[in-house]
Amino acid sequence: MEESTSLVCNLGILEKLNDNSIQEIIKSYGGFCTTTESLLNGAGDLSVGPEFVLHVHSLCKHGLQSLVCDHFLLSLEQAFEKIGVTNFWRHFDSYSKVGVLQKNNSSIYDDEVQLVLCKALEEMALEKQYQEKCLFMLVHALQLHKESMFEGKQNADSERAHLFAKYQLMVSSVLMASLPLHFPDILHRYFKGKLEELSRIMDGDLEGKNEFQDKDSMDLDEKGKHRTGEMDIDESYNHGKFSEKNKLVKHIGKVVRDLRSLGFTSMTENAYASAIFSLLKAKVHNLAGEDYRNSVLESIKGWIKVVPLQFLNALLAYLGDSIGYDTPSSGLKSPLASHLSSCSSEIDTPSEGLIRWQLRLEYFAYETLQDLRIAKLFEIIVDYPESSPAIEDLKQCLEYTGQHSKLVESFISALKYRLLTAGASTNDILHQYVSTIKALRTIDPTGVFLEAVGEPIRDYLRGRKDTIKCIVTMLTDGTGGNPNGSANTGDSLLEELNRDEENQEIAGIDDDFNSDDKQAWINAACWEPDPVEADPLKGSRNRRKVDILGMIVSIIGSKDQLVNEYRVMLAEKLLNKSDYDIDSEIRTLELLKIHFGESSMQKCEIMLNDLIDSKRTNTNIKLTAAKQSQTGAELGEDAVSLDILDATIISSNFWPPMQIWHLWHVLEAQGASRHHSMWFPEFQDEALIVPEPVDKLFSDYAKRFNEIKTPRKLLWKKNLGTVKLELQFDDRTTLYTVAPLHAAIIMQFQEQKSWTSKNLAAAVGVPEDVLNRRINFWISKGILSESVGTDSNDHIYTLVEGMVDSSKNGGNSGSCEELLVGDDEGESTVASVEDQIRNEMTVYEKFILGMLTNFGSMALDRIHNTLKMFCVADPPYDKSLQQLQSFLSGLVSEEKLELRDGMYFLKK
Amino acid sequence: MATVNGYQSNTPVASPTATTATKQSVNPVKTVDSQSVLKRLQSELMALMMSGDSGISAFPEEDNIFSWKGTIHGSKDTVFEGTEYKLSLYFPNDYPFKPPKVKFETGCFHPNVDVYGNICLDILQDKWSSAYDVRTILISIQSLLGEPNISSPLNSQAAQLWCNQEEYRKMVEKLYKPPSARIEGV
Repeated sequence: MEESTSLVCNLGILEKLNDNSIQEIIKSYGGFCTTTESLLNGAGDLSVGPEFVLHVHSLCKHGLQSLVCDHFLLSLEQAFEKIGVTNFWRHFDSYSKVGVLQKNNSSIYDDEVQLVLCKALEEMALEKQYQEKCLFMLVHALQLHKESMFEGKQNADSERAHLFAKYQLMVSSVLMASLPLHFPDILHRYFKGKLEELSRIMDGDLEGKNEFQDKDSMDLDEKGKHRTGEMDIDESYNHGKFSEKNKLVKHIGKVVRDLRSLGFTSMTENAYASAIFSLLKAKVHNLAGEDYRNSVLESIKGWIKVVPLQFLNALLAYLGDSIGYDTPSSGLKSPLASHLSSCSSEIDTPSEGLIRWQLRLEYFAYETLQDLRIAKLFEIIVDYPESSPAIEDLKQCLEYTGQHSKLVESFISALKYRLLTAGASTNDILHQYVSTIKALRTIDPTGVFLEAVGEPIRDYLRGRKDTIKCIVTMLTDGTGGNPNGSANTGDSLLEELNRDEENQEIAGIDDDFNSDDKQAWINAACWEPDPVEADPLKGSRNRRKVDILGMIVSIIGSKDQLVNEYRVMLAEKLLNKSDYDIDSEIRTLELLKIHFGESSMQKCEIMLNDLIDSKRTNTNIKLTAAKQSQTGAELGEDAVSLDILDATIISSNFWPPMQIWHLWHVLEAQGASRHHSMWFPEFQDEALIVPEPVDKLFSDYAKRFNEIKTPRKLLWKKNLGTVKLELQFDDRTTLYTVAPLHAAIIMQFQEQKSWTSKNLAAAVGVPEDVLNRRINFWISKGILSESVGTDSNDHIYTLVEGMVDSSKNGGNSGSCEELLVGDDEGESTVASVEDQIRNEMTVYEKFILGMLTNFGSMALDRIHNTLKMFCVADPPYDKSLQQLQSFLSGLVSEEKLELRDGMYFLKK
Repeated sequence: MATVNGYQSNTPVASPTATTATKQSVNPVKTVDSQSVLKRLQSELMALMMSGDSGISAFPEEDNIFSWKGTIHGSKDTVFEGTEYKLSLYFPNDYPFKPPKVKFETGCFHPNVDVYGNICLDILQDKWSSAYDVRTILISIQSLLGEPNISSPLNSQAAQLWCNQEEYRKMVEKLYKPPSARIEGV
């Protein structure tokens, strides 16, 4: 404003000008131009100064200050452009390809860059100083003139500031306009190099301190307080370090100041910020690395405080002290200098700028660590219980950054790529699922993100056939009292069951509290909204308790299926027990009851009761038998004592359907010759013919049972159970635990050394193909040998006398070998769930054929509805329309049905 | 039949078989709740479906388990060989103490079947016992086709012709309308 008003009055003066004054102006102006020229290009020659001042005076007298100023600044600019800028940039010309070259030998380049930058800045500073001196001369001249005119000083300072600001703007705009592309890069490299150097010094410093620190582990705050003390102790050592650091910081500070004075303020800040960040990033990667077993967050935070923040502290302090007016964070008037000299590394009263920096750095560190951890989350969860420190770190990071969705996305894609593939076993997937639940429960107790992450796993698992089986195994394994078993995966779920029980108790207490109004008020007061990402359809956080078992069950869809599978497994397990010890099963059942409810586990409970009752009944029967034998002593020679037989008596209505109903029993058949066997019949075909003494034992046992439990009768399932069998040869004795069929087979060889398969099958009472399959067990043990008979379909089995190939049985001779023969063909006592499904399907098939016979043709949904209506037996029809459709199309492809125009017909 | 082993505990589950039925016939209960009729019919259906008898079949209609449709194939080596007859069965609310009403839906030229499809069969009238079930009814009707009771005919023309099996066969073929076409038309 002031400028413009003075211009207006100058116009008035212009009219009054006469020839003389014009002459004077022209002359003065000429002189002014020449002197300006010589001043600016005179390479430090200020001898023309007085003349210059004179000319300025005379021009000002005619009111031409603005002309003077403009011309001078223009000349300055030209001079600056001509000399300063070109010289300045020329220094960096050789690095124009630095980006390309930097891969080759960065450290050498770094050093060079540092030198060149310093030199260039120094020259530039000199040049600038000189020009500023010239400018000051002008300002001085103008000021003198003003004083003479107005005899006052009021505008002097603002005039000067205005001119210098203009000059400063000119300098930076000229430099910016001619800025080579690679200059920011050079700056970045410079700061990076310097920071690394500093970090090295500080690290050495830290290590020195840590030696002390290790003795007593204190938290970081205390560390700081003690540090000063330690410094005193180890002053001489630290002093060297410190002065080195101080020098370095001073040096950097000078460079920064020079750069700022050239107008590169923001570029400089960017450069050292990015250098700090890249250093921090490297540090985080270095610290965090592949180790998930230690928490790194604290040490990263500590490092931030020690290295970059101290650097910034020193830098800001240096700049704040030396340059007053153009420091952006000029609020820094804190006692920084004293910090430096007293070598205290703690920041007692951190300035606002420094706190901003600290927050920025910490956020960056959190984010970097979070990204690092999220990228490796899959691995972290794989070794979950060990990697919980990493999970804890991640939790803190996420609390700070709030980037949970990033975690969800990244983890889901990792899951899809690495876990949910055909190659992964269902057990592994389930294990990972459980670990995921546990890990994410730590990160996010509300379970919102777990919901999102768990969904793909659950979907995938639903597509697997053996999922239920695996889950049940996981639930029940590890209870068998064999801690050496490989029941690791099971442990985790069983643990959950136990935990669940505890929770139940706690929940009970909670409920009591909740009835208290006060507590209810407290609960209401600490309500927090769901995270934004929460799916509103899935209930609020209070209802969404993270319950591992619940989440596992939700894979299957209904607990009934799970309970059913458990029942089948329990039956299998119970039937294979050779004693009545079911403590662990009872415990598991109790736990399951808590979770699934009493009523759904009822059948299982009856099964366990059967076992308990069997034990009692079994003991009773043996007692009566013992009494009789004492009194009567009517046992024949061949007869065997009831003592060796243990029966499991089951209530068939409550046990799952089995291949064939069975009871099992142990008995020891004392053969006349070399076989001494214990025997638990098991298996397969009702028609199995057991040896005479064993059969007699069965009927005896059944008779006694009837006496005790009238009117109940015992029906033996001779093919189920296990037999402990001892084979005595001339030179050795071996003990086997085998299926009844195996025992029956080998018993036949007691009387007759060689059998054709046909005859043997008849003697044992099984089909020939079953025999041929089962007898392989004895052949593989080297006890029987197989040869082709006269009829090519008829094999001959012969008992191997003496050990032909003793190496086969490797050192068993004379010793006892106990082998539990698994169901080698995967046959199982209890009908598996798949078999049950197959059975269900055949029921449906009969119903479908039946309805089509009577109604001619039916559409899909009518068949569906009819099945729903009438197929209500155990188990009722519960399939979906899609499942029915695929089943029907199966029947169509079997040519049992026809499909025309959406109607199904019987194939005639 | 399922083998029943020694019951350890609990009462045996009522089995849906003839044995239960016999017991009930011994001490007939006057008031039968519809629930047990429903159960009985459901289990009869299950038994029928699982029995796998060839040539006889029946199935309840979509919405009413008291109304069934049946199918009978003429037995081999009878004049009815190769024919298929549709039946309707209506079960009363006090089934099985009363017999179901059974009718031929397909016209059947038979001494004991009238033009409306009514059947004259002792077990469906005075000789009914709750031991019978759908399956036995169907089997009885199937055997009735081959062995009619000439002494009390509903269709006297058929009764007279019965002695000439060749002529009778021709008559059956002439009058027989395959039911499938009719059903499809519905």
